Amino acid sequence: MADRILGLVCLILAAGMGWLGRGYVAPISYEPVGPAAFPLLLAGLMAVLGGWLAVRPQPQVDGAEPAEPLWGPASIRVLTLAAVMLAYAVLFQWLGFVIATALMTLPVGRVFGGTWRQCAVAGVALGVSFFLLFDRVFDVILPPGLLHLLG
Amino acid sequence: MSSTLDHLMTGFGVALTPMNLMLAAVGSFIGTVVGMLPGLGPINGVAILMPLAFALNLPPESALILLVAVYLGCEYGGRISSILLNVPGDAAAIMTAVDGYPMARKGLGGVALSISAWSSFVGSMIAIAGLVVAAPLLASWALAFGPAEYFALMVFAFACLTGLMGDQPVKAGLAAVLGLSLATVGIDANSGVYRYTFDSVHLADGIQFVAVVIGLFSISEILLMIEQITAGNTMITQTGRNMFNLKEMAQTWWGTVRSSIVGFFVGVLPGAGATIASAMTYSMEKRLTDTEGTFGKGDIRGVAAPEAANNASAAGSFVPMLTLGVPGSGTTAVMVGALALYNITPGPALFEQRPTLVWGLIASMFIGNIMLLAMNIPMIRIFTRILSVPNWALVPGILAVSTVGVYAIHATTFDLVLMTVLGVIGYVLRKLHMPMAPLILGFVLGELIEQNLRRALSMTNGDWSILTESGISRGFWVCTVLMLTVPFIVRAVIQRRRQRAIPAAVAATPEQAG
Repeated sequence: MADRILGLVCLILAAGMGWLGRGYVAPISYEPVGPAAFPLLLAGLMAVLGGWLAVRPQPQVDGAEPAEPLWGPASIRVLTLAAVMLAYAVLFQWLGFVIATALMTLPVGRVFGGTWRQCAVAGVALGVSFFLLFDRVFDVILPPGLLHLLG
Repeated sequence: MSSTLDHLMTGFGVALTPMNLMLAAVGSFIGTVVGMLPGLGPINGVAILMPLAFALNLPPESALILLVAVYLGCEYGGRISSILLNVPGDAAAIMTAVDGYPMARKGLGGVALSISAWSSFVGSMIAIAGLVVAAPLLASWALAFGPAEYFALMVFAFACLTGLMGDQPVKAGLAAVLGLSLATVGIDANSGVYRYTFDSVHLADGIQFVAVVIGLFSISEILLMIEQITAGNTMITQTGRNMFNLKEMAQTWWGTVRSSIVGFFVGVLPGAGATIASAMTYSMEKRLTDTEGTFGKGDIRGVAAPEAANNASAAGSFVPMLTLGVPGSGTTAVMVGALALYNITPGPALFEQRPTLVWGLIASMFIGNIMLLAMNIPMIRIFTRILSVPNWALVPGILAVSTVGVYAIHATTFDLVLMTVLGVIGYVLRKLHMPMAPLILGFVLGELIEQNLRRALSMTNGDWSILTESGISRGFWVCTVLMLTVPFIVRAVIQRRRQRAIPAAVAATPEQAG
């Protein structure tokens, strides 16, 4: 079933790509193949392969791992982790590396079995040590964020 | 040949500078650790370190030396958790666990670890020697390639990947098309038309390679890890000898050499990687030498062969990457991306234009290997101790380093959000058994394949027959068709034979069937 859905999603994607791709016309053309041909070719290929998957899902071959259901007992943890990662990405620049990393380590560490105390210590240690290592030693500029306000 | 040796000497001049030596050592160590950590393989190691190498403003030679050392180190490291935990660090180390773990349970963990380090060393060295001989030959031959030949070659590379992907060829094909489609985002270099940018300034330059690689490999890996935290594996403590003896070395010698040669050729073939090399040579050795039926029960030959092969194939995959610009594996695809960050396009001209880069890299592979052997035999206890770092500290660390790597390139929140979104998509695709190597190969080769197609068709004013005009391109098209059809036929024949054999075997020996 999951394979059929994947096939359908690819078909929709291919339709979108094809529809947008049709409008790509070069103002002045120097070559027989314009900017639209390759995307349209890919959309066609994707439609064929996606359609194939939707109609005839992949057979189970001996020895191959069985297809896992997308929704399982771990899904809540996966969703939590994904949400934390997204929040980390969005707040990274504004909060700054040290604070964002320390805050991110709390829920991520908890999901991976650490205690609150362990995660808090690990978060502060990671934030500060990586900041000093990358920003100060390796010259990779990291956002100071809110720490900037402290001077 | 003498000019090859001269070039190699120049290469050693580059690789032996104190900074490059240090980078090779650091890369080897990090690579071994990353390879050892369950779930993380060479592609993750190289992907995480690549943006950092760029952000540290390393010169291209040095960045490449660091990344190659990480790659080779990962191939060494994968075996440690395979043998001690029965958890392969990456797919290429799966076969090592088959005999390595039973050996460790018998108290021969030290022997299994040391013999696998030795065979990894032999495999790599034989393959690097092969690289030295084959690469310049292939590069000089490839200078005759025009756009049509390149296009045919790249189609062949995709056919190899999809044909060899075992039970999921349609998904592998879809993955490749997805990768190619991602590469079309941004301004079209020929016409200046904005494609799939949705009026976003951030997408005008295209999707950032680093965000794609880190998202698809590092972020999705972390999401997959969360599902496996319940798997309780107890580590076996080392007992008995730490080193193999001369008898064991003699016992494994020919198998190691054979597997190294096979592994090298599998590595050279675009698309086939270390996983296929190790599985192939394990079954080859089993068929050739397993007269007593000890393979799978802790046979030392079953540890040496796949280790030699996966290391040899890693070195072999540099042949098509350096000479043709077509990566032989997912990891070398990431390296092509790394070179692109420096505006360097690998290909036959690279040997002429940047000899110090190419030969410095090859020389550093020799040096990195010696370092890895020296590091892996005495320091095994230190490496095994790292395995006990708990995930609650390790995962936030990996996430922070990955994020720093992506942020360092453009310092925008957009890339970080894109990385996370791609990570979630990658997680769903991997759950659906969509292979990631064709996707990343498609993304890396996307622009190149389109440009070559358009250039070829421009030469004939749109006549498609140019794609099959030369002997070289015709050869590639024939190989492409074979690659797409032969695995299907072979699989169908094997399946039919198996279906016939099972009822016969059950009828003959019913009491042994269970």
